[in-house]
Amino acid sequence: MTIRRLWPQSLVGQVILLVALALFVAQAINFGLLLRERNRLTLTGQTAPLAYRVVTALDQRADRTPERATARDGRPDRRQTRAARFLSTQPTLGGKPRPDVADRARDMLADMGLTVRQVIAAEDSRVMPLRRWERLRLRQGEAPDDRRVGRLQLAVEYDAGRWLLVEGRIGNRPPRFGGWLAGQTLILYIIVLAPLLWIGRRLARPLRQLTASAQQFARTGAADPVDERGPGDVRDLTMAFNAMRARIIAMLDEKDRMLGAIGHDLRTPLASLRVRTESVEDDAERARMSDTIEEMNRMLEDILSLARAGRSAESPQKVDLSALADAVVEDFIELGSPVTLADSARAVALVRPQQIRRALRNLIENAIVYGDRAHVSVAHEPGQVRITVADEGPGIAQDRMAEMLEPFTRLEGSRNRETGGAGLGLALVRAIMTEHHGELRLANRAEGGLEASLVLPA
Amino acid sequence: MMSDRPHLLLVDDERSIREPLAQYLSRNGFRVTAVDSAAEARVRLNANAIDLVILDIMMPGEDGLSLCRHIRETSEIPVILLTAKSEETDRIVGLEMGADDYVLKPFSPRELVARIKVIFRRVASGGQRVTAPDGATYAFAGWLLKSQERTLVDSEGVSLPLSTAEYNLMLAFATRPNQVLSRDQLLDITQGREANAFDRAIDNQISRLRKKIEPDPKNPTLIKTVWGGGYTLSAEVRKL
Repeated sequence: MTIRRLWPQSLVGQVILLVALALFVAQAINFGLLLRERNRLTLTGQTAPLAYRVVTALDQRADRTPERATARDGRPDRRQTRAARFLSTQPTLGGKPRPDVADRARDMLADMGLTVRQVIAAEDSRVMPLRRWERLRLRQGEAPDDRRVGRLQLAVEYDAGRWLLVEGRIGNRPPRFGGWLAGQTLILYIIVLAPLLWIGRRLARPLRQLTASAQQFARTGAADPVDERGPGDVRDLTMAFNAMRARIIAMLDEKDRMLGAIGHDLRTPLASLRVRTESVEDDAERARMSDTIEEMNRMLEDILSLARAGRSAESPQKVDLSALADAVVEDFIELGSPVTLADSARAVALVRPQQIRRALRNLIENAIVYGDRAHVSVAHEPGQVRITVADEGPGIAQDRMAEMLEPFTRLEGSRNRETGGAGLGLALVRAIMTEHHGELRLANRAEGGLEASLVLPA
Repeated sequence: MMSDRPHLLLVDDERSIREPLAQYLSRNGFRVTAVDSAAEARVRLNANAIDLVILDIMMPGEDGLSLCRHIRETSEIPVILLTAKSEETDRIVGLEMGADDYVLKPFSPRELVARIKVIFRRVASGGQRVTAPDGATYAFAGWLLKSQERTLVDSEGVSLPLSTAEYNLMLAFATRPNQVLSRDQLLDITQGREANAFDRAIDNQISRLRKKIEPDPKNPTLIKTVWGGGYTLSAEVRKL
């Protein structure tokens, strides 16, 4: 779970993380190799002076050319005598044994053509005397290099039972490898990751815009075109998206134009019929005819509304849904319909009020037609507002609930067929609720009757 | 200007509506000239003394809105628009063009006649044109009345939708601030627009409105009762 949380979700994030990891692994391998090389170098640096001392000492050994060693300048070489001692037994070297130095020394001596019987090496922490230049600098007042300098001893059995012991300094340069690696990695990261980040942002911005535009389109049915920029393939994708968007919008516009034309063309003959009914002598007949025309007009209205659902021009606003329910119910009461409203507190939600009015009207009309009476109530619940319309009818069989939401479905038991409509009422309500990210819920009441609720996010 | 039989100019390209509607209006006491295009209508407007124009919006050639604008620019003749579209925008554009009223197709001819009579009554009673309430917003005492949406908006920006009757009453007050309106006047004004949606007593609607807009409905400060007179909206109203 932790790994999943650390793993970046974005494309650019993943690429950058991968590159960073790969760089780090490469750096680690690099570091390992360098460290090994460095150790070899250090070892050689420590061993070489000793090996040379061995060679020089053996070269100038007293038993071979004693007279020459002293005769050249009339006194024994102090450095030589201190740095190299000939022994007739194997010396015991104190401190930490250094077999690596011994092996290296044997190899070096072998390279120089000197075969020895045995080599041993060890280091201890005895402080070696200052070097000549260090003494000079110290005298001139410079601070001494305050470094602990250990002693490295090397004993070589160059003949059976004959040993040569030499000594030298070690470790006068502490390794600064860690900082070096960190610095190098940092520079590498800057050089590689900065351009990558730049490319990534170039890549991510149009993708983000594309996503936002697609989401906006899905939500509202309209969206601004996305700027065509970024790398080539992203630009291609954007262009394809824009073309698709333009085509869908053109189709939707065409649909709206067509619906407008249908609406106009059907309403004109309806209007004509409506005017002509006035010349019908029989009052009852005339009333029935105008009712039928009114009914056809309502159906037409429903069909057009349903077809236009999701492309509403009305903008959402903060609305007190209690006041809205009150206004809608009041209009029904004005017309003498049996509708009641339970008192409720202010319940504000962001909605398109005309559409919610429409949805609530449809529910109340259904309740009156199928359930004799409508009881409306508004409840402000955490995060949502619920407008409930309860009736006193027979309810709906549980297995037909879902079916009722489909267009052109009508409940067979309608007692009042001539006002039944086209069966678009609930489908329209559902479309309106979907547009509001809300929900239409139908349930049979325990005390009988159906309960239809508009649940809106608040 | 007005004779015994008011002269109506009916402009509609649809013969199936124009002819029966002309007949119906004639039977109901109007003199009717029916034409099928805006061009023909312009000719008749110049030649005859027309008292009111009934105008279809959707017509080939010059449309109703354009003709409506022309009429408004050149005269004070009232205009009623006929529209087959229910889209709000159409209605509002029509009223912004200076139409006095609009009727949605299919309409009841009786309702049309009722509206024509309301307009004539208004013209006769002083000629003050109440232009286009729809689309306008009225601001008073921290409230906004949006006529397009039939909604009151409070100072927090929350909409309180109104019922048809409440809205008509509120609009009557908002368009006549600080004017004492008797119950009969209110009935007349409000019923003119929505013929049958106003059967309950004015007092009942007043008290409903007070509940919505008064800080204390028991002691109203906005919609005041005038003893023996009626009601008045006691507030400065700005039309936005």
